[in-house]
Amino acid sequence: MSAAEKMSRRDEMETLLPFYLNGSLEGSDLEAVEEWLATDPAALAALGEAEAEFSSTAAANEAIRPPADALSRFARALDAEAGPAPAPAASSWLRQAWNRFTAVPVGVAWAAAAALLALVVVQSFMQPSGKGSDFEIAGQEDDLAKMPFALVKFKPDARMSDIAAFLGQNQLKIAGGPTVDGVFRLAVPAKTAADYEKLLGLIAAQPFADAVIEGRKPVDGG
Amino acid sequence: MTAATETDRALVDRVAKGDRAAVRLLFMRHHARVYRFVARQTGSEMMADDIANEVFLELWRQAPGFEGRSEVSTWLLGIARFKALSVLRKRKEEWIDDDDAAQIVDGADTPEVVIMKEDKGAALRRFVDALPEEHRTVIDLAYYHQQSVTEIGEVLGIPVATVKTRMFYARKKLGEALKAAGYDRGWP
Repeated sequence: MSAAEKMSRRDEMETLLPFYLNGSLEGSDLEAVEEWLATDPAALAALGEAEAEFSSTAAANEAIRPPADALSRFARALDAEAGPAPAPAASSWLRQAWNRFTAVPVGVAWAAAAALLALVVVQSFMQPSGKGSDFEIAGQEDDLAKMPFALVKFKPDARMSDIAAFLGQNQLKIAGGPTVDGVFRLAVPAKTAADYEKLLGLIAAQPFADAVIEGRKPVDGG
Repeated sequence: MTAATETDRALVDRVAKGDRAAVRLLFMRHHARVYRFVARQTGSEMMADDIANEVFLELWRQAPGFEGRSEVSTWLLGIARFKALSVLRKRKEEWIDDDDAAQIVDGADTPEVVIMKEDKGAALRRFVDALPEEHRTVIDLAYYHQQSVTEIGEVLGIPVATVKTRMFYARKKLGEALKAAGYDRGWP
């Protein structure tokens, strides 16, 4: 018989009291302690003693104060372990919109076609036209990068001719993409936020547009 | 679900996916208790600082393997206990055994002097601190960390019956120390 088995009922109850106080006791042990507390006059005094131990133990622990800079030092150790943290996203709403946006499935065939479309549109934009002998490709790229833009995804069954015609009519330029998810960055030639939103509404209304989200809007008055 | 209400287990799931914000949240929730646990184990706050940090780095590493069989707090205390023991063994520090601990209460001050200096609560705190490490640990885990008998067994890697036995003797020693200091609580 083990030492635990040899315990008297009082010993057993005294052993369980700390667990009764911390709320972790259950089942037959809980019933036994509650029955003891209800029937033995010495039990309530014992419970008071255990409560005093509880308080003293808590005080002894709480007296130990962790260093105030523990979290910052841990963050540095974590970065050393896992590498530098990725740059923070622009904003939560943009991140959520992007996640929804890229969650739209894209057919492999369309992704390939989209890449081809991007090549065709950008090349046609960047090639000098008949009277554009002074055309500067680098300058045009810079301009595109500085322009307001939107992120657009086309439907897998969209026709390239429809898209190209729409872009041309509205002076929209493909400035980047497609990503692996078939997302294009579309330069939007809008001078005001109102113009920008109007154009985005127009794009979104096209039957070939699968999803459109705002990118950089023009600053009004600028 | 907001971060404030997100469960520890949900946060560990996020950590398993490489979410550093989640591990920082868990750090903020549990670091103080882990730190105190290790400080009480080792008697060194410097050691506690290093080990507590390591515990949360271990959480970062082991999160993908966490199966949720125990509470996250129990899991962390188990890691802390293992690391504390490893460090102590490396440093060849000796645990206080029961015989040594029995002498602590009869230290420089007689019980009468102790009672003059301290009220009962302070005396009890002193006696808890003076318990042998294996007894004080079960007292700390039950009263401060609010662990169940089973969870203490998991943290310490001992059977439930042993947890109860240690608790019995821990409380018995406290009773004897109190009695020696003039506080007779009727048990043992």
